[in-house]
Amino acid sequence: MALLNEMVWRFLHALLYVQRALLAWFRVHIWRWKRAVLGLLLPLALGFHNPKRAGPIGKRTSRRVRWGADGRTLEKLPLHLGLLITEEEIQFTDIANLVVWCMAVGISYVSVYDNQGVFRRNNSRLMEEILKQQQELLGMDRSKYSVEFMKNGADKQEHQVLSCQSVVKVLSPDDGRLSIVQAAQQLCRAVEQKEKTSKDINVTVLDSLLRESKNIPDPDLVLKFGPVESTLGFLPWHIRLTEIISMPSHVDVSYDDLFGALQRYAMCEQRLGK
Amino acid sequence: MSWIRERELSFLERLTANILKAGPMPKHVAFIMDGNRRFAQKAHVQRQEGHSQGFEKLAETLRWCLNLGIHEVTVYAFSIENFKRSKEEVDGLMELARQKFSRLLTEQENLEKHGVCIRVLGDLTLLPADLQQLIAKSVVATKAHNKCFLNVCFAYTSRYEIASAVKEMAWGVEQGLIKSSDVSEVLLSECLYSSNSPNPDLLIRTSGEVRLSDFLLWQTSYSCLVFQSVLWPEYSFWNLCEAVLQYQLSYQSLQKARDLHREGQALQQMEEDRSCVAELLQHRGNGKLVDSQSRQKELLNYIASREERVRCFLNALQMFYPVLWGSGYV
Repeated sequence: MALLNEMVWRFLHALLYVQRALLAWFRVHIWRWKRAVLGLLLPLALGFHNPKRAGPIGKRTSRRVRWGADGRTLEKLPLHLGLLITEEEIQFTDIANLVVWCMAVGISYVSVYDNQGVFRRNNSRLMEEILKQQQELLGMDRSKYSVEFMKNGADKQEHQVLSCQSVVKVLSPDDGRLSIVQAAQQLCRAVEQKEKTSKDINVTVLDSLLRESKNIPDPDLVLKFGPVESTLGFLPWHIRLTEIISMPSHVDVSYDDLFGALQRYAMCEQRLGK
Repeated sequence: MSWIRERELSFLERLTANILKAGPMPKHVAFIMDGNRRFAQKAHVQRQEGHSQGFEKLAETLRWCLNLGIHEVTVYAFSIENFKRSKEEVDGLMELARQKFSRLLTEQENLEKHGVCIRVLGDLTLLPADLQQLIAKSVVATKAHNKCFLNVCFAYTSRYEIASAVKEMAWGVEQGLIKSSDVSEVLLSECLYSSNSPNPDLLIRTSGEVRLSDFLLWQTSYSCLVFQSVLWPEYSFWNLCEAVLQYQLSYQSLQKARDLHREGQALQQMEEDRSCVAELLQHRGNGKLVDSQSRQKELLNYIASREERVRCFLNALQMFYPVLWGSGYV
């Protein structure tokens, strides 16, 4: 009997695996097909209605304007959006696209996280990709955006800027539980040195200490990419009220996917206990 | 019994349960029982009735969990933030709690039969005194039971729990029981209200909301999160099975992530111990170089003494902050 149950279980999981694989395959191929068709039809349409075709610069500007306008149509935009990648294989170009779209739509703080520390170890590569995609998609001058990368420690690489419009932070599990432990150690040291008593410690004190070293605002929205249903250690203290929206994959993700999630976020109602 | 529905599964339910149990099953499931008020609105009944139905659904769900071999359940019954609700609603919820805990105390035999251990986690000082008494009695009455565990988070928020744990460690430092360098992830976990439980394998939130709302933020870092759109009073056995299936699908990745985290933690501890020993040797030594064998011996001694300190500290905590409150008086 137990053997039969196990066989049925294996069969069920095999079915689900096939279903997931099929859905992923469809998603990618339908998107590629859509892109190919648009690529073919749009120039034709423009050719009929506009004798002058929009050059690459014009296309970038109109995209930038459209994305900015999209952002303004939403009831609310997250101040801090977290991109949580649970997939093993990471495509840096797709991540860079997501970051650039977020900046274009008007989100001022974007964080990028994976639980294996891949982004942290490759943050210069990510930075390059983001700057490249910025140029590619928005045609912005490199110096107009501040891209600040957070490493574990005070060593921050900051690209010089005139108008700081967006901040991008790379996060890893060390920014989660470990940071809380480090703050706890700091408070205990203060108690050891008789600068504080244990009775002085409460949520507000711990919270302000956490903000002191790494001032990460609480994420309003986390987009989780990949099939793993977990936050995998992402900022446990900060995600108290964060909306967590799951997306199937970051590979070949489109602007419409991102905007759909932002629309969903704009509609949610936070009652805050009431 | 009022807290666990006495009802056997149907044939189909039993079959499904047996099939699911062929795979990895969560040992500890946490529920955010959201949607009572929306259900009340939908069914055109009073809010209080919605909450009451919510409790009945809890009793049913506990039965399903036992049938599925899930022996530990944690539920988010009342958040510290919920005190912001209207006085009428808060009083209603307190009254419901009074009724249910009083009823529990009359069902000793059944509790013993099922071996149910009830723990209540939160800042219980925020509750009316008579309710605190009822809760204390219930917890004491079931303390020795060990077949299944129900943790009720009442007047709870995760941030408060974490801050309390830090406060307890600071108290330990104040009493000279531990040093600030002994503070670690493992020690903090031991000081949380939930220290007697393993971390939840699966967290389920109903009613379609996709946030954690300050519930078990530390403990669910590597748990499977399942958000379901069904309203809590309408929760069914099939919804639970769906969530367990989701857990099974994420199982391998979660194990991997947890192992990775544990390795990182161990490495972190080792580095911390090494740097403490280096500092110790520096203070002790007169500029003499210490050979690697003595250094290794010192390291082992240091680790042993650290572990002893921590053990004494945790014992002292048990005595000073009685377990029956789950450290809720801090």
